[in-house]
Amino acid sequence: MDRWCNLLRMRLRSWMRRKRVETELDRELRYHLERQVEENLAAGISAGEARLAALRMFGGVSQVQEECREMRRTQYVENLWQDLRYAVRMLGKSPVFTVVVVLTLALSIGANSAIFSVIDGVLLKPLPYPRAERLARVFYRSKNFAKFPVNPWDFLDFRARNRSFESFAIYTRSDIQLSGVGEPVKLSAFRISAGYFTVLGVAPARGREFDFVEERPGNGNVVILSDRLWRRQFGAATDILGRKIVLDAKPYTVVGVMPPGVDHPGNAYNSVAYGDTVDAWYPFEFEGNPGQRGPHYLEGIGRLKPGVTVTQAAADFNTIMADLATHYPGDQGWTIYMVPLYQEIVGPVHRLLLVLLGAVGLVLLIACVNTANLLLARATARQREIAVRAALGAGRWRLVRQMLAESLLMAILGGGLGALLASAGVRALVAFLPAGFPRLAAIHVNGLVFGFTALITLATGLFFGLVPALQSSRTDLQQGLREGGRGATGTGRQTRLRSALVVGEVSLACVLLAGAGVMLRSFLNLLHTDAGFQPLHVLTARVSLPDTTYKTKDAIARFYKTLLDGLSTLPGVQAAGAGTDLPWTGYDDNLGGFTIEGKQEPPNESFHARYHAATPDYFRAIGIPLVRGRYFTDRDIKGAPRALIVNQAMARRYWPNEDPVGWRIDFFDDKPKDSDWYTIVGVVGDVKDKPQNSAAEPAFWWPIPQQPWGFGDMSVVLRSASDPVRLTGHLREAVRGLDPSLAVADVRLLDQVAAESFSTPRISLFLVGLFAALALSLAAIGIYGVISYSVSQRMHEFGMRVALGASSWDVIRLVMGQSVALTAIGVTLGLGTTLALAGILDSMLYGVSAKDPLTLICVAAAALATAAMACYPSARRATSADPVAALRAE
Amino acid sequence: MSKPSDLIQGTLDLLILKTLALEPMHGWAIAKRIQQVSQEVLQVTQGALYPALHRLEQQGWLRAEWRASETGREAKFYRLTKAGRVQLDKELEQWRRLSHAVVQVVGEA
Repeated sequence: MDRWCNLLRMRLRSWMRRKRVETELDRELRYHLERQVEENLAAGISAGEARLAALRMFGGVSQVQEECREMRRTQYVENLWQDLRYAVRMLGKSPVFTVVVVLTLALSIGANSAIFSVIDGVLLKPLPYPRAERLARVFYRSKNFAKFPVNPWDFLDFRARNRSFESFAIYTRSDIQLSGVGEPVKLSAFRISAGYFTVLGVAPARGREFDFVEERPGNGNVVILSDRLWRRQFGAATDILGRKIVLDAKPYTVVGVMPPGVDHPGNAYNSVAYGDTVDAWYPFEFEGNPGQRGPHYLEGIGRLKPGVTVTQAAADFNTIMADLATHYPGDQGWTIYMVPLYQEIVGPVHRLLLVLLGAVGLVLLIACVNTANLLLARATARQREIAVRAALGAGRWRLVRQMLAESLLMAILGGGLGALLASAGVRALVAFLPAGFPRLAAIHVNGLVFGFTALITLATGLFFGLVPALQSSRTDLQQGLREGGRGATGTGRQTRLRSALVVGEVSLACVLLAGAGVMLRSFLNLLHTDAGFQPLHVLTARVSLPDTTYKTKDAIARFYKTLLDGLSTLPGVQAAGAGTDLPWTGYDDNLGGFTIEGKQEPPNESFHARYHAATPDYFRAIGIPLVRGRYFTDRDIKGAPRALIVNQAMARRYWPNEDPVGWRIDFFDDKPKDSDWYTIVGVVGDVKDKPQNSAAEPAFWWPIPQQPWGFGDMSVVLRSASDPVRLTGHLREAVRGLDPSLAVADVRLLDQVAAESFSTPRISLFLVGLFAALALSLAAIGIYGVISYSVSQRMHEFGMRVALGASSWDVIRLVMGQSVALTAIGVTLGLGTTLALAGILDSMLYGVSAKDPLTLICVAAAALATAAMACYPSARRATSADPVAALRAE
Repeated sequence: MSKPSDLIQGTLDLLILKTLALEPMHGWAIAKRIQQVSQEVLQVTQGALYPALHRLEQQGWLRAEWRASETGREAKFYRLTKAGRVQLDKELEQWRRLSHAVVQVVGEA
């Protein structure tokens, strides 16, 4: 290693200080000569003779000098310098060519770097936790649910009995309202078990994390703040520990402050958060009856012991699960689904990102092929220059190097420009990605990205430079010199090579076009499927009632009724409602079991559906249509006969050939009294569960005054005749008028929510479409180049044809035929490749196959039309061939 | 006169390294010293000596500096580096093995 450094240092010195080294060499040898002369003089030889003798003995000063230089091997560097200077001059001579090539490369290299920086941030960077590879997420799984949350009492058993985790914790999203410090604000918060931060491997910067005592009911009035919240709301007060703050109208004692930049590991249920987005954490209290195990709504996360794999840990958990199932019937039919944290976070976008990288890689490949093609054309034009240089003694390798210097120079210019484009592009890209996209905050253009850019730049330069360089250095000297005078013709081999390159370009472009085509169809399908609600002109906001001040269902129902009655009288408001859930805003797997009067559950299955609560006008406000029966009314109150609304999916599942209206349902196992039954009063349309999927789960709604539990966390929905943004102020005022301690949170337009749910497919479609357009233009340039060159070679032939009676149309057909033939080969190859690669895309598409025949036909048509357009100018030129000149030349 | 090509390949390096092991010298002195010590049997020509010196310097086995010579004029003095000393040992060892082998074959004890 040391020696190499030394060698490098010496070489560098020899090169950087060539002058000095030369003088030193000169002085050194002169010293030797002088000593020899002196010796000769001392031996009694005359002065003149002594010098000559010394020179003779020395044996050729310049040879020795050359040999010494050779030993220092600076020759390469000097040649490289020469090559580069020459390359700059040559590129400057054909500025249009240079600009086209450099811009093409800049676009494709920039696009590659931009996509790579997303991949680097999301996929390559390690998760921001120590030894993150040992973190795993824990879910339940059953026949019906691939992934299901954990329940509290099972968790306690798992935590006590498992032998695979160093530490194991649960957390669940529970936003909470901070009041008493300025305006009330909704905090993005999580309830966590003790040891949650131990699992993640991050410790509070001040104070401590929760202990087991604080998990017990009644002890949980403690809170840990994020660094951000501590600075923003509490002015980074150093005496914050021990201070009491008001959360959901209850006092909480601050016991810790986290360091800045604690990334949330993501959550599968409720609004997904990533990055440094959590404001506060407070203890999860294990309440209720251990025999009932509690509802499933917790997210498990654990740190594996060193050497334990996820599979082993899952097996360990499943043994415990099997044992639990023998004690608790509710635990029957469940197994554990354990997944590494990394996979859980990036899994949903892994394939998308790789597809994008593949697409952008194809663009770069096409750009390379295109540039190689242009260089080949230019090499043909430069044949004479090359032949002259070869005749003057330039070796083949020297010629190749010269040409490579030119292509590398262009690549480096393109790469540099591309790096600039990438830095700007990445910022735009991140702005377009939805907030729920994993690890958005980790996406940056960094050293690795620049390294990647440099690498692809060099690879590109070599790749597109080498073929033309090798090809043209094979120039036949004599022919080159002889033909030089009247403009060289390409050899058959070169023409074939260029045609092959064009075929390659076309086929790659077809692959991209087909990808973009099916993605477009899939996206249109998504847009056109009925969402099940009408998102236009709807304002939504979350208003949560703390259970300390709103203790009863009556109080909750009264609050929302007063609020909504007031809001519905505002000018322009068509409907004002409130409900526990909004479509597409997060997790909605809250399943409730029930019994249907007069129906028997099939063996091994239980009646279940998603439960919600809503006010009478909720459905009208959100735009969910009534199919049968009626909506809720103001008469569905406490004491009145209990009412229930179901969706069509639930109607289809449990009353396949009947009208569900009038049937009765009960939610508790004990013998129901007549007043316990809920009667189905209406059926409403289905709302798609996820924007990317047309499926809708069975679901039902309770009227808020008749809900079995005291849900006090509602989304208010206002439908307006026109732009609803102006209602925001009224809404805030109305809430403040009723209770000034309440926060109005998550104020959004429903069409925004809907648009955001499509933003990932939209941005991927946009990118692939952009890449495909780029690819098609490059292919068009390639076709144009080859055909126009071939036409200029064949002008004489066309002249002859015209002289012999061919019409303009015949000539055009001839030229077009050549272009279309090349393109057709490319299209065939490209579509073949598409069919072979279809499997990669299929899972990302909605309602269309990656082998969609209509798309493939359109792609072929587009490619052929482009080819025809690209060669049309050449074809026109061919018709202008002069028959007289052609005949005269014969 | 013994030309460098008569020297066994690589021997010149050994001679230079060995000579410089005593003290730093300039090219002329190195040539003279080899000549003297070998009792005029080995004559190193400049054509071989200087490229060899430059090569050894590039390898990092020699380090050169300009200073006043015994005649009072500035000359380029070469000095053995640490790496050069290691190299000298290696080459000596090789030379011993080689000469021993040659003696074995030629059969002169």
